[in-house]
Amino acid sequence: MTRLTSIPGLPPLLACLGILVVWELLARWYGLNGLPPASQALPQIPHILSDKESLIDMGESLRRMAIGYGLALLIAVPIGLWMGRSRYAAAFFNPLMMVIYPVPKAALMPIIMLWLGVGDASKTLVIFLGVTLPLIYHSYQGSRAVEEKLLWSASAMGLGGFARLWRVVLPAALPEILVGCKTGLVLALITMVTSEMIARQAGIGNIVFVSLDLGAYDTVYAMIVIIGMLGILFDVGFEVLRRRLVGWADSPHTIMVGSA
Amino acid sequence: MNAVRQWSERLIGAVPIIGLLALWQAIAMSGLAPPALLPTPGVVFARFFQQLGSPAFLDHAAVTLYRLFAGFMIAVVMGVTLGIAAVGSRAFAAIVTPVVRVLAPVPKIALYPALTLTLGYDDASKIALVIADAMFPILLATYQGASAVEPKLAWSARAAGVSPVRTLFTVVLPAAMPSVLTGARIGLIISCIVVFLAEMITSTDGLGHLLMRAARNFQTVDMFVPLIAISMLGLMLNALFNLVRRRLLRGFPEEK
Repeated sequence: MTRLTSIPGLPPLLACLGILVVWELLARWYGLNGLPPASQALPQIPHILSDKESLIDMGESLRRMAIGYGLALLIAVPIGLWMGRSRYAAAFFNPLMMVIYPVPKAALMPIIMLWLGVGDASKTLVIFLGVTLPLIYHSYQGSRAVEEKLLWSASAMGLGGFARLWRVVLPAALPEILVGCKTGLVLALITMVTSEMIARQAGIGNIVFVSLDLGAYDTVYAMIVIIGMLGILFDVGFEVLRRRLVGWADSPHTIMVGSA
Repeated sequence: MNAVRQWSERLIGAVPIIGLLALWQAIAMSGLAPPALLPTPGVVFARFFQQLGSPAFLDHAAVTLYRLFAGFMIAVVMGVTLGIAAVGSRAFAAIVTPVVRVLAPVPKIALYPALTLTLGYDDASKIALVIADAMFPILLATYQGASAVEPKLAWSARAAGVSPVRTLFTVVLPAAMPSVLTGARIGLIISCIVVFLAEMITSTDGLGHLLMRAARNFQTVDMFVPLIAISMLGLMLNALFNLVRRRLLRGFPEEK
């Protein structure tokens, strides 16, 4: 058993299999109309993934997510790094972040749609808002923990304020920043799905509810599996990237499993 | 000197919050946005306080609170038990760890349609979603905290004749309390947000439903009110939790 679990990737695969078996058994046991067995729902996945319209819909969703996430990276990381190095910046932004923290970002969707219409702009903005906080928070923590001596040496060598931020603080804080990026990526997916479920207008979240209304329960479950796989894929993919970039740092564990 | 610095930092912190409110007021008054799209903050907050006295509004808030706490409590019990059990038993950890690793990054909100199909459109599906979302941070924090507990503590208890299970709950769990409470605080805010979102997606009552009802009727002011209510609730629960935390953690070394 110990030997088996030491093969990388095997335990999670077994876990997936176990979850599917439990699902199948539950569905057969209860025989509910609203809970089709895994063996019925999973074959729908290739159908969905070969359907041009739903593929375009999903592609659009992912594109908006990428834009919202990218914009948040560009704005949030510098703010976080700056907060970590300047008392005043921290004092300026911290209370604001505390107030914004418990606001459900995806819930802003109806209000933002009122202002910006039902197009891409509102959906992207909501994703942007959803991921900004963890990105700022982790960049702040990373930048705050940078060793003073590194900065002193850098100033002694004649580096100015901005150069120090770019060439010393950023690399030193990178492991922690990447933790924020990973949390943010999963959060971006959550915000995207949630806001689309609320807006019921386009995208991945909408496909789920359209099939729900049509009574196509197999498709509903297949979509849930697809969304779940996306989450796992982002998580694993980012972990690989993180090891590449900051393999030198200890693997930090995070419990900031967020929610939009 | 220190007090002066503290006050000046607080003043600086108030600037962006007041600034945002002022910007909101300025845009609303400038006529750039018609009141139907952007009511002034004064109107919104007046409506908020008026609604706090309205029994119908409070009923909706009570429904939301009930779902929030039912889900959160179950999530705490499940998360702490599973986390502690995973530290206590290697065989159990071999099962739980991969399952958690697979399920933690899955957007739980995607399960919501399945939950409504199996548990119905009432409280049960929303509570289940809150559990699914809030449990993972609590479980992970408990597991991390409990595995970092000084093993000598547990050994001493075992040497004194305490059973392994009792050792977990009377020695390891209390020693892991700071980490458990951090996880629980994150879980609490997540519960607060998730219950509201679930109510927005499908519901006939609760604060989230009020927002969607107002949105369908284009009552902009009433769209802001539930949003402010749930955010205030989150802030209050957070503050309350910190008080409880300070109480429970008396004697622990201060963090950060």
